[in-house]
Amino acid sequence: MRNPLCSLASRLPGEWPAAAAAHRGNCLRCQAEAARARTVRRGLAALADDVFPAPGSLKTAVLRGLGKQDAADARRALVARIAARHAAAAGLAAATLVALGAGLLRRHSRALG
Amino acid sequence: MTAGEVQHAEEELLARARTGDREAFGDLVGRYQDTVYTLALRLVGPDLAADVAQEALLRAWRALPRFRGEASFGTWLHRITVNTAWTLRKRARRHAAEPLETDVEDRGLLPERAGELAETRAGLRRALAALTPGQRAVVVLRDVYGWSNAETARELGITEITAKVRLHRARLRLRTLLEGAR
Repeated sequence: MRNPLCSLASRLPGEWPAAAAAHRGNCLRCQAEAARARTVRRGLAALADDVFPAPGSLKTAVLRGLGKQDAADARRALVARIAARHAAAAGLAAATLVALGAGLLRRHSRALG
Repeated sequence: MTAGEVQHAEEELLARARTGDREAFGDLVGRYQDTVYTLALRLVGPDLAADVAQEALLRAWRALPRFRGEASFGTWLHRITVNTAWTLRKRARRHAAEPLETDVEDRGLLPERAGELAETRAGLRRALAALTPGQRAVVVLRDVYGWSNAETARELGITEITAKVRLHRARLRLRTLLEGAR
């Protein structure tokens, strides 16, 4: 029967807990599993050497589509938009508070008068 | 040309392209179009790869004045490609696993790559094609291109934990698929 630690160890992402690591040190099944995992990772890394030729028309299509360049940082525009949105929300909240305060004051002065 | 001379020539092309020189950018496109296309092919499959590569190179042209050279031009282009691939894939709503490089593998393989190595690679490509798009993107960026978890998560717009979990599941699935293929 398969040791539960074997299946646990093979299913844990990232760093292995000490118990699972100690188990793997003594378990031939887990060592074989780890070796298979390494083989797959090596195979995947080797795929990086395969380069597929782009379609012949790609460069022409890109050069035909070139428009203006944009030196402005898109992130700044985004930050400015977010800041404007927050400022508008804050303004609205302040106006609501002022209106509420004024209403309360009016009620208070009416009650006194 | 030595590696240093190639680097120098590329820096000159970049400097010219940054100021709007289309011819210089054309030379850069010639140098990088195959790697950009290959990455796109691995991420989104043959149906969308050419569109992704074209859009990524156009985005790179537009953003070139902002390229500060903190990473290499190739790395920067790859980031743009990943970003573009993700945007176009979402737009195309092709969430189901699609046939990927298996359609084009013969085109890229040279005769001397025949044999066991080519078979292993073909098996891996088929297994990669069977992953979900999210798992495939993580495993391609981490295990094929050697990106860090942080970079992968940032460019795909997911948390590092999600990236790690997807990677782990993808590796398990790849092993199962490869063992099933034997």
